[in-house]
Amino acid sequence: MLIHRLNEDSIEFTDIEPIEADLLRQIPILCDVRGDSRAELRLFSNPADSGEVQFLTDWEEYVRPELRHIFVSARATVEKDLGTMVDRPGYPSRLVILCAHGEAWLNALNQARLILAAKFEFSDEELSLHEVPRSFSRRDLVLLQINFYAAIQERIIDALEGCTDADGRE
Amino acid sequence: MAETIVQHETKVEVGTPWNVVVHNDPVNLMSYVTMVFQKVFGYSKEKAQKHMLEVHHNGRSIVWTGVRERAELYVQQLHGYLLLATLEKSD
Repeated sequence: MLIHRLNEDSIEFTDIEPIEADLLRQIPILCDVRGDSRAELRLFSNPADSGEVQFLTDWEEYVRPELRHIFVSARATVEKDLGTMVDRPGYPSRLVILCAHGEAWLNALNQARLILAAKFEFSDEELSLHEVPRSFSRRDLVLLQINFYAAIQERIIDALEGCTDADGRE
Repeated sequence: MAETIVQHETKVEVGTPWNVVVHNDPVNLMSYVTMVFQKVFGYSKEKAQKHMLEVHHNGRSIVWTGVRERAELYVQQLHGYLLLATLEKSD
């Protein structure tokens, strides 16, 4: 899969292999944290120590619903964009997203990575590993998935900064 | 003719400054954290990278200090980007 700036307004994903398309389609599904307290804890972390009673109460009442709205909106944007992915049996897929949706993609990818890391309780060391795993347990594959999403984030950030030209060259 | 000078004095209560602190998180990418600091605080890429590296190497960085109301708003914005950010009273 290649990700590059298509023009002033758009980012293009080309040569999307079927397994990559599947992983992309999993992003909005993974972002649903309902029922998982570890993931909820990470997405809605404490903004101050417990001594800030009033601030924490107000945060729960007013800010938390707003944050949830931001996260759900990002997920919905990605889901809608993925609905436009061009699939042809036997050929790699193609997807074009608006640069204006770039932040929503980065947010949803971050949600997916944070949720997977929290659910599978990866340590800092494991998350910093960039080696090919020796086994292919479910956990190893999830770590590869987290790193795959990280690579997409890097490319979207590059594309948003205009680091690549329309042909995808550096 | 005598000239009357009226002086207006405005007292501005300057409270304790508050810090916006960002904590290290192995999931958030360095490039992403840099981009967020640029967007939220309007920092140059160099300044944003300096804070990002401070977070990465020291585990935390005071990314902004000032009045409480604004600090609260910044913490809220950083949480919207899924960074681990807290509000702390400045020493």
